[in-house]
Amino acid sequence: MVALIFRAPIRLTLLLLGIAAGLATVGPLSGSAQEGPALGSPKGDSGGDSAQSDALSPDRLIDVPIVNLTPGAVDVRPKLAIPNLDADAAQRGLQYFTNFNCVGCHMPNGGGGMGPALSFRPFIYGDRPENIYLSIHQGRPNGMPAWGTVIPEKLIWDIVAYVKNLSQAPAQEWGTTTSKTSPAIEQVPKEFKPSTAQPWNYTQKFSSGQAPNP
Amino acid sequence: MLRSLRGCLPYAALLFLTAPVCAATGAPAEPLSPSDSRTSNGAEAPPAIEQLVGDKNNWGMAAKDYANTRYSELDQINAANVAQLQVAWMFSLGAVRGQEAAPLVINGVVYVVAPYAGPNPNQVFALALASGDLKWSYAPKPNSAAAGIACCDVVSRGLAYDKGKIFLNTLDGYSVALEAETGKELWHTRLGDINKGETITMAPVVVKDKVLVGNSGGEYGARGWLAAVDANSGKILWRAYSTGPDSEVLIGDDFKAPYPWMSGKDMGVQSWPPDKWKVGGGNAWGWISYDPELNLIYYGTGNPGAWNHETRPGDNLWSCAIFARNPDTGMAKWAYQIGPHDLWDYDEINENILVDLPIDNQVRKVLIHPGRNGYMYVLDRATGEVISADAFDNVNTISSIDLKSGRPVLNDSLTPQVGRTVRNVCPASPGAKDWQPSAWSPRTKLLYVPHQHICMNFLTGDVGYIAGTPYVGAEVDMFAGPGGYRGEFMAWDPVTKKKVWAITEQLPVWSGALVTKGDVAFYGTMDRWFKAVDANSGKVLWQFRAGSGFIGQPTTFAGADGRQYVAIISGVGGWSGAIAVAKIDPRVRNGALGFTGAMQDLPAHTVGGATLLVFALPTNKRDTADIAAPPK
Repeated sequence: MVALIFRAPIRLTLLLLGIAAGLATVGPLSGSAQEGPALGSPKGDSGGDSAQSDALSPDRLIDVPIVNLTPGAVDVRPKLAIPNLDADAAQRGLQYFTNFNCVGCHMPNGGGGMGPALSFRPFIYGDRPENIYLSIHQGRPNGMPAWGTVIPEKLIWDIVAYVKNLSQAPAQEWGTTTSKTSPAIEQVPKEFKPSTAQPWNYTQKFSSGQAPNP
Repeated sequence: MLRSLRGCLPYAALLFLTAPVCAATGAPAEPLSPSDSRTSNGAEAPPAIEQLVGDKNNWGMAAKDYANTRYSELDQINAANVAQLQVAWMFSLGAVRGQEAAPLVINGVVYVVAPYAGPNPNQVFALALASGDLKWSYAPKPNSAAAGIACCDVVSRGLAYDKGKIFLNTLDGYSVALEAETGKELWHTRLGDINKGETITMAPVVVKDKVLVGNSGGEYGARGWLAAVDANSGKILWRAYSTGPDSEVLIGDDFKAPYPWMSGKDMGVQSWPPDKWKVGGGNAWGWISYDPELNLIYYGTGNPGAWNHETRPGDNLWSCAIFARNPDTGMAKWAYQIGPHDLWDYDEINENILVDLPIDNQVRKVLIHPGRNGYMYVLDRATGEVISADAFDNVNTISSIDLKSGRPVLNDSLTPQVGRTVRNVCPASPGAKDWQPSAWSPRTKLLYVPHQHICMNFLTGDVGYIAGTPYVGAEVDMFAGPGGYRGEFMAWDPVTKKKVWAITEQLPVWSGALVTKGDVAFYGTMDRWFKAVDANSGKVLWQFRAGSGFIGQPTTFAGADGRQYVAIISGVGGWSGAIAVAKIDPRVRNGALGFTGAMQDLPAHTVGGATLLVFALPTNKRDTADIAAPPK
């Protein structure tokens, strides 16, 4: 387990976290540099570590398909014990989403820009937690960097928890209607809810390009 | 009826046209004079760009000429007959992302480049002007990861031409030369590295056998540069950085800054915190003009990295600046920083139009720069001194430009601080005007400026530099400016420093402008209209509804058949239009670096497209009457 977690070049990671924190003259980031080493320790805050590490060993993850089409119509998805993706994990994930510049491409609240939106489904490379984990770890062809050697496994799972939250838009319809009157709602923008890891909990009337209704 | 349709394509109904779609046959209403002969002839050497810039039949560079006027001496299409304009032919570029490129025409061949998308990213096409036949195409070897390193859609702003060669910049950082006649690859040179956040989107410009190319990547902390590549060999002759020591910025003894606060040794280092200039942006991703008499090229530089200004105390030279350089050596003659210590991502890469204007009873050699910060700058192009700078849109970030010091007078109440949301900042990050180039008519003495009218909320946050990933640190939310509209096409008089007329548009006007001797100005809208307006009054004379919105550059030229053509590529996208072509959520306002907020209804007007449209007047008015008449 220890070896697995420290497989990533942790010093580079801590350096990056440190840069992000150190740049801040003010702001909430100063805690993350101290938090970093604790997150890399074998005693994480989600229980059942040893069982999970077996279930999530690279041997099992390599069997995770990113498509739902399989020869012979056999379900080949391995049974995995996914870490606890709770609200605390998502809140930490929000912080790492900023620290590792995920936000720069996928944008605040995952609205999409240089990288695709994470605020609606389906995800191009699968929306199960293990798919999201692998997309971050391995990178993807159209510009997603391979983060596996930079971000420790535990932190990637926290980012997965946050990304799962981003796509929890209120259910409206199976597809998506676009018209002068649809969509009907938008999120309260990030500048007014900067610290929430549950952005879809705050919505307002769609503004059609005009100033947001606070 | 059938006979009268000879040479016409049967697409009229499909396209909702009221006029026929005719191939280029027959004599024009007003033939061009025989003296308008062109140089193309198998025996002759292919023309040099220096000849083409003054040749009305050709459109040899994106900006038409070295002065960047986008003015054509052709007047077969004019204010009196432009209402009859119709499609001659069309061509699909096959890559449905933002189409910002200018169609070039050299001796009866149209050259266009597609965005970095589809099966063949940045594919180049050569088409016969008269028939629309595809002569050849060329697809550079792609690196799909580059798509994720482009801040603002995967656009190309166009090709360049000189002496029988076509020059292409690829998004993933290469410059390529092709034989214009055959499409054969002559050389390719790697100039940038996507792992450092560098891409190339600008249209190269050829000056004295040198292909001038600048990089993009201001949102990735990529250090800006402009390189000169030998047009014949592909070798890099010089590279001038925008930040760093004088030896790398190519500042020497011959350099003179127009104001004392910009003077001193290694200002590209001294005006930054230690080492920050190495990730400081200042990219040269816009337009280049050239004054052969002064032997100076002019171009602007982009925003400093990161957007969060608290990461980089100091003036951050030479970001948000205009450089004047000797094209032979790259050495700077002068530089003027428009935006010291940029707060808002006001890149100043916009076009610099070189004209001679009567100012205070003397004719001055000036450069007109429609600033992203919302001010129209008129500079002495020999020295960089500011002659005038006047707001052309709603601006609350800058109260005036101090003509004595050359510095903007800022509205300090808006200065961003980490963790504090600043509300209603005007103009927003794309400025009152972005890359979309203006046109200058020497007849009306007016500048035709496509631009936007948007404001924003702005919240800076912490950001660390990781090579090859964004380096921004700002959460932005844009929206329509006062009055609720988002774009404008205006005519500006740089001598009286006043707006003469303006057409407001519901969406940003993100297309370039074109103006002709026929006193017609052209531009396109993001909601799919291509418009011709009276250059004197701004009255809309003709408009055409296309398949997708316009963000491209209209150009005009003449064929061997004696007809004048107007061309533009339809296909929305770019920073403003990415929401209609990429996986971006209209409900999350801070997407697309905040442009989502201002464009969230765009997908209700248009989706992407990739169609080159070539327009001309009908060859025979009787045909028009036949087709236009509804069935009885």
